[in-house]
Amino acid sequence: NHLTDQVIQRSKRMILDTLGVGLLGTSTEVCHKVTQYSKIYSSDISSTIWGHPNFRLPPLYAAFVNGVAVHSMDFDDTWHPATHPSGAVLPAVIALSEASPQKKKISGLDLLLAFNVGIEVQGRLLRFSSEARNIPKRFHPPTVVGTMGSAAACAKLLALDRLKCKNTLAIAASYAGAPLANAATQTKPLHVGNAAKHGLEAACLASQGLQGNKQILDMESGIGAFYTDYNPQSLPTLQSYPWLLDQQDVAIKRFPAHLGTHWVADAASSVRRKLVESSDNLLPLDKIEKIILKVPEVKYVNRPSPTSEHEARHSFQFVACSALLNGSMSVQSFTSENVHQPALRELLCKTQLEHPPDNTPSFDSLYCEVSVTLQDGNTISDRCDTFYGHWRKPLKKEDLEKKFQSNASSVLPAEATEGIIETVYNLENVEDCSALSTFLSGRSARALSEKRHAQSNIVGFG
Amino acid sequence: LWETVTSSFASFIHGVQPEHLSKIVRHRSKRMILDSIGVGLVGSTTHVFDIALQYCRLYSSVAVSSVYGKPGIKLSPTLAAFTNGVATHSMDFDDTWHPATHPSGAILPALLAASQMLPPSTKPNGMDFLLAFNVGLEVQGRLMHFSTEAHNIPKRFHPPSVVGTMGSAAATAKLLSLSTAQCAHALGIAASLAGAPMANAATQAKPLHIGNATRLGFEAALLAARGMEANPLILDDIPGCSGFSVFYSVYQPKPLSTPSDHHEFLLEKQDIAFKRFPAHLGMHWVVDAALSVRNLFIHYAGSFSPSLIRTIVLKIPVSKYINRPFPSSEHEARHSFQFNACTALLDGEVGLSSFTESSIHRQELRELLDKVVVEHPEDNVANFDKMYGEVELLLHSGDVLTGKCDTFYGHWRKPLSKESLLKKFRSNASHVLPEEKIETIITMVDNLENLSDSSQLACSL
Repeated sequence: NHLTDQVIQRSKRMILDTLGVGLLGTSTEVCHKVTQYSKIYSSDISSTIWGHPNFRLPPLYAAFVNGVAVHSMDFDDTWHPATHPSGAVLPAVIALSEASPQKKKISGLDLLLAFNVGIEVQGRLLRFSSEARNIPKRFHPPTVVGTMGSAAACAKLLALDRLKCKNTLAIAASYAGAPLANAATQTKPLHVGNAAKHGLEAACLASQGLQGNKQILDMESGIGAFYTDYNPQSLPTLQSYPWLLDQQDVAIKRFPAHLGTHWVADAASSVRRKLVESSDNLLPLDKIEKIILKVPEVKYVNRPSPTSEHEARHSFQFVACSALLNGSMSVQSFTSENVHQPALRELLCKTQLEHPPDNTPSFDSLYCEVSVTLQDGNTISDRCDTFYGHWRKPLKKEDLEKKFQSNASSVLPAEATEGIIETVYNLENVEDCSALSTFLSGRSARALSEKRHAQSNIVGFG
Repeated sequence: LWETVTSSFASFIHGVQPEHLSKIVRHRSKRMILDSIGVGLVGSTTHVFDIALQYCRLYSSVAVSSVYGKPGIKLSPTLAAFTNGVATHSMDFDDTWHPATHPSGAILPALLAASQMLPPSTKPNGMDFLLAFNVGLEVQGRLMHFSTEAHNIPKRFHPPSVVGTMGSAAATAKLLSLSTAQCAHALGIAASLAGAPMANAATQAKPLHIGNATRLGFEAALLAARGMEANPLILDDIPGCSGFSVFYSVYQPKPLSTPSDHHEFLLEKQDIAFKRFPAHLGMHWVVDAALSVRNLFIHYAGSFSPSLIRTIVLKIPVSKYINRPFPSSEHEARHSFQFNACTALLDGEVGLSSFTESSIHRQELRELLDKVVVEHPEDNVANFDKMYGEVELLLHSGDVLTGKCDTFYGHWRKPLSKESLLKKFRSNASHVLPEEKIETIITMVDNLENLSDSSQLACSL
């Protein structure tokens, strides 16, 4: 009853988006590698691997693999202060919900509440340091606060007592923290996978009695170690609890690349429209002399000539040129063929960045201006302050669903994708959230109805 | 030839051969291996070990790797590494180096587990094993030299969780014969798994730092072996986007020389400290100082009579996490100058049993702790190469007795003799292994270079 309506609504949107993004992500190379790796661990208890009907993994590794899937293409949600909140939490709580000790039934509301606990903890921790307000430079935020969020969410789902919740956080802190340098590489998705996995592990160890420093959030040598300035505050009381998600929504991405590139894409698409209009509906590619992008200074997204999909997803220049060339960005924009397209490489050579001092590296205040100068001296430009999908201009329900369907249908049959949408929209009323996992696995409808039939025959469990 | 720091490390890990190990390095590293095994064996009797083991037994698929002190149990390799790593650090009884870290616990468990994982046709021999162990040590040492911050007792990140993870990745990459490129990626992946804050020191979670270092570094190597790629400049300085430098406020990386040039391993110039009792290294100075003043006191008063003491002054360096006037758990007690000094004064020795619940809460001990006052002389630097411990007894009679220790027995400047090291090992191992097994391990480690199949070491545990 502490969850507000807005929080419920927003978090369900996040859940749906994250599932879609994760399902799509199961087809990536990085996800294949971690799945192969994880097969060396198996156990009696197992959880679903999204998009894989035929094999399961222990909860810890299910959380890991599904977390990697969610972040594999940088397609997952982003919050302010900056982190990718859902990917660190959802895979862990779903995996855990299938492996509940004593086979206790977990309801949709239990899942929703645990999820929100995980998001809230992340948001609160991010507010303990002014360093967190800007796009990061040192530690990749999901590895710091995401691990803690996953730990908190799992502790909630396991219904641990106060002392064990404290120890969960303490233990999780010792797993937190990965450097930013692995962004724009194949290892970055592991940051979210590991955040989910390690948070879950911390909760399991705490549940078995392991203890850590009970002042882990208070001390500079605790979570404070990850920040240069650190000012922790106690959480408000539960009465009329002011959830951060209520005050601050997330951004949902429209294409799989670093959030900063979304401003660039919208501005570039708009410039392209203007160019085409003024040139007989053709893009005057060979008449383009120079492209200038006015963006904030973010070193790890400044890549003039990316060579891999991971680098391309972290390149202002690449997204600008790709949007100019093709009109809009999509999943296909990052294939090897597109990344190495000659016309694109030509445009990249003509592209420069500028960093106006008023363009602060914060997802709440940055902007992008794209200016294309033609050979005849004419300059066409446009500016984007708020892209469609940003929290100031959230995706409409239809567009959120469209993104989900497009992603999920690449690996799941229609009944499963419909089933997930229905279940998530109705999450707080779902009695047993294992239905969600079954849909996620992609097992056939017939198998599902057989399972439902079997479940309804089990009397009085829990 | 312009080589990045990261690629120089990868080349070193990949290219170094047994012939590059000097005699001293081989000798010292075998001592470390023996001590680490013994400490792990006795550590398998702890509560924290039980928790870790129970947790890991949930995942039992390719259960091929041995667990310290549990002959009937096998775990999957990385989880065996985790469990054995926890055992090794469970009592803070494991070795310490300068700059400060616990090097062996972060690499040995992974190597033991990995040796049992490889198929019979590619089993590494004892020399391969010893080489991989030294690669793990060397990488840890070199990384610590990248920052002056590392020279002193740590305040932010617990060093084993930073360099230990990297050392484990390097060591296992070597044992698994990864290519140069794969070695670089193993380091890159490992960096994203490194780094735990100091606050969990002196708690039950601290042993996990070593458990996770050895396990996660191993995982990084396994992922790299399967083609996972990371940032190829992870050890280099990357302005505006931190790599491994993120764990330090000052960071000056340097390339490693290729093994074909004359490469001197750090272990050659800088030996390790072995602990004589299970507590933080800093405690060893005050204990030796306390024992010294205790002798003076007994000489003076005929016997140890606490009622004659008005104040006990401890002169120690500044280090918050080991300054605890009234520790209430074994973990806190192992990280308390005051506790260790008073135990040494009261009992004339500090050992395993000094840290039991009943010992910690003894009335006579609490009375002594009440008399302790701590001072931080400016010349007493929080650095394992330079610090000292001084214990002053201010008696009611007005007399003052002093004991001071600059270098405790077991420190690298005064290394444990072979007899003392073996005595420690036998004492530890006897908690869980029968005599024949104990002697087998001693012989095997002593002859490690000649062992044809190094997995025999792990199998004998």
